[in-house]
Amino acid sequence: MFKEIKKDFPIFKRKINGQKLVYLDNAATTQKPQIVIDTLKDFYEHHNANIHRGIYRLSEEATELYETAREKVRKFIEAKETEEIIFTRGTTESINLVAYAWGRQNIEKGDEIIVTEMEHHSNLVPWQVLAKEKEATLKFIPIDNEGHLQITGLDSLLSKKTKLLALTHVSNVLGVVNPLKEIITKAHSNGTRVLVDGAQAVPYLPVDVSELDCDFYAFSGHKMLGPTGIGVLYGKKELLEAMPPFMSGGDMIEEVTKERTTWNDLPAKFEAGTMPIAQAVGLGAAIDYLNDVGLENIWQHEQTIITYALEKIKAVPGIKIYGPLEPKDKGGILSFNIGEIHPHDLASIFDEAGVAIRAGHHCAQVLLNRLGTQATARASFYLYNDQADVDKLVEVINKAKELLP
Amino acid sequence: MNTSDIYREEIIDHSKHPRNFGKIAQPDLHHKEKNPLCGDEIELFVKLDSHKKVKAVAFDGAGCVISKASASLFTEAIKGKSINELEQLSAKDVLEYLGLSELTPTRQKCATLVLETLKRGLKNYQQKTK
Repeated sequence: MFKEIKKDFPIFKRKINGQKLVYLDNAATTQKPQIVIDTLKDFYEHHNANIHRGIYRLSEEATELYETAREKVRKFIEAKETEEIIFTRGTTESINLVAYAWGRQNIEKGDEIIVTEMEHHSNLVPWQVLAKEKEATLKFIPIDNEGHLQITGLDSLLSKKTKLLALTHVSNVLGVVNPLKEIITKAHSNGTRVLVDGAQAVPYLPVDVSELDCDFYAFSGHKMLGPTGIGVLYGKKELLEAMPPFMSGGDMIEEVTKERTTWNDLPAKFEAGTMPIAQAVGLGAAIDYLNDVGLENIWQHEQTIITYALEKIKAVPGIKIYGPLEPKDKGGILSFNIGEIHPHDLASIFDEAGVAIRAGHHCAQVLLNRLGTQATARASFYLYNDQADVDKLVEVINKAKELLP
Repeated sequence: MNTSDIYREEIIDHSKHPRNFGKIAQPDLHHKEKNPLCGDEIELFVKLDSHKKVKAVAFDGAGCVISKASASLFTEAIKGKSINELEQLSAKDVLEYLGLSELTPTRQKCATLVLETLKRGLKNYQQKTK
């Protein structure tokens, strides 16, 4: 099934420096299948209009397509109600929405917010800003040397003052899948709300927010074959209803007079201004595509690739792998360094070979400090990657070792 | 440019055995600059003579082959230059010291980190001595 998948992605016809493109930066963004590109084109060619307001055919069609995409998202993450799905620009905006709207209403002086040492800056900085503003305290769940969260100490971190626990589902550097269910149950029994950054999980892990029972779940469309500029915030209805708006303007109002405004119902309350309509529709097409392949199959494929990659790369002399060395509970993300070679130099050599990898701090400086390095190289795999891509990765690593002895 | 041009012997040598690597006590001009993309850091120390020309220069910090080799070659090249000459230096000069005709935009940032450090340091120096 996965053998033919590259053919669905037109970008793989491209040559980079005369070589076949090997794309291994999927944790940053994913490539788009033809069906998603066609859906965007079709929307603009046949259905383009602004939504919710126009009393004419095109606007009604655009509204229908936009709301159908919302329903697809709901079903994809198993939310109970469609209005619990808020469209945003991406994970960062989703988290900021919660930090501003929920956080400013619920976090008070002396309260505590718990995050983890492995957070991406997008699930760390908003809480740092909020904590500073409210004179609240930010606490960190530490990781062990293999990159697993040390949740045995969670009970002692949680206190009466802990209002929120914000953590990632899958680490964008280590690939670790966190034991969410256990953490959420502990947090809830302490009366603590839980926000999950699902940007790295939704693309290949079957996610069921109702079963997880998380309070908020944020993710991006472009990391799961969808367009850029569209993201999702899932929130429990009673929480979203009690929250003030994040941004104000058109479409999020019920009634406006010179003196005051009342807010529209969910989800419109949180969707001020003209939304990325075509992108939402494109995300719907990406979800259809992922469903056709099957999330369980995609997860199995990730496991196969990461197992193969770990085995191959572990054999390279001088390699240092960050994160678990076993594929169990690990997504398709592999961070590494080789001897003294700086990851930037490595990425240049990779680029020449047509291989796209990431080098740097991956927007996770707290984690990299904990790992004792300034930067790593990172290869991240998705459904169109195969063993030949891993072989190429290892081949170029060996070439780099020759070039930079 | 392909990587075998970039990573040729001279550049590898300068990155492995950087010239002017270290610190200078009581420098006239001193600045530390970070490349936020990768966290590479360069700290630059310049001592001027009575004619306000570079008498001694040193740099410290960690970085990739290009940023290190560039800092090494750059510090070699600016010895004896006047403040005015230092102000005129551009990315083109940095590439020339490296013997490269071009770099990709992201890698150029690695090469010019030492130049940026000098420029910021010069600004502070001029404000201080105004």
